[in-house]
Amino acid sequence: MPIFDDTQLALQRAISGSALRQQVLANNLANAETPGFQRSDVDFHSTLAHAMKTGDPNAIESTSFSPQVDNQTLRADGNGVDIDVESANMAKNGLEYDALISVSKARTSILRTAMGLGG
Amino acid sequence: MSFFGGLDISASGLSAERMRMDVTAENLANAETTRGANGQPYRRKEVVLQTASGNGFSSALASAVGSVPGATSSQQAGGVQVSGIVEDQAAPRMVYDPGHPDANAQGYVAMPNVNPVTEMVDLISASRAYEANVTAMQTAKSMFSKTFDLLR
Repeated sequence: MPIFDDTQLALQRAISGSALRQQVLANNLANAETPGFQRSDVDFHSTLAHAMKTGDPNAIESTSFSPQVDNQTLRADGNGVDIDVESANMAKNGLEYDALISVSKARTSILRTAMGLGG
Repeated sequence: MSFFGGLDISASGLSAERMRMDVTAENLANAETTRGANGQPYRRKEVVLQTASGNGFSSALASAVGSVPGATSSQQAGGVQVSGIVEDQAAPRMVYDPGHPDANAQGYVAMPNVNPVTEMVDLISASRAYEANVTAMQTAKSMFSKTFDLLR
């Protein structure tokens, strides 16, 4: 059995996906007043879920995420950013990131204990 | 993926919104200026924003390194930048004031095309957008410090 199982690999990829999503959402907020700007988002959940269904550790480890442009337009100037929705998404994503880090840290500390290094 | 990219993006938003606030303040301060540097009444200025493409070191490095898993196209997100400050070409407001030194032969003074109400709305919108970018920056910061917890 490898030291890092599928769950740990998936956690690592999810942390990376969540960090990328934070950047994309920050970019949406920075362009909240740019005429014609289309918002982007990263759906790392479904990409990762798809890779985990295969059960192949390599597929999970090599999962990559890319931002998708959302073609919604809210305002007359062609801008598609709703500050409230972006802020809510960002808060959710931040909490999810914290949760992922906590779970990842707990799992690593189990491994450290098993190795006799102390929690 | 550049680690502090999120902070840079939010910082670009902060400086763009601050520029909007500065220009709005200039418009309000000059709402009654009938003599500019060119002898003409002051014209309202407006900031034009555009999406910035990532052209920093990290994006150059990423394009040179090529496809690294997890590094795909996050470098395109470069925030926002001020592409220019343009003058509002609307006609000046004509006010009848024969005693004014800048009055024309008919007694009318050309006043700046600044509408204080429009400026206040712009100011509120810039201030709200500024706050949103500050929040984004705080979220990014707390995420980074959480990551450093992993090392403990």
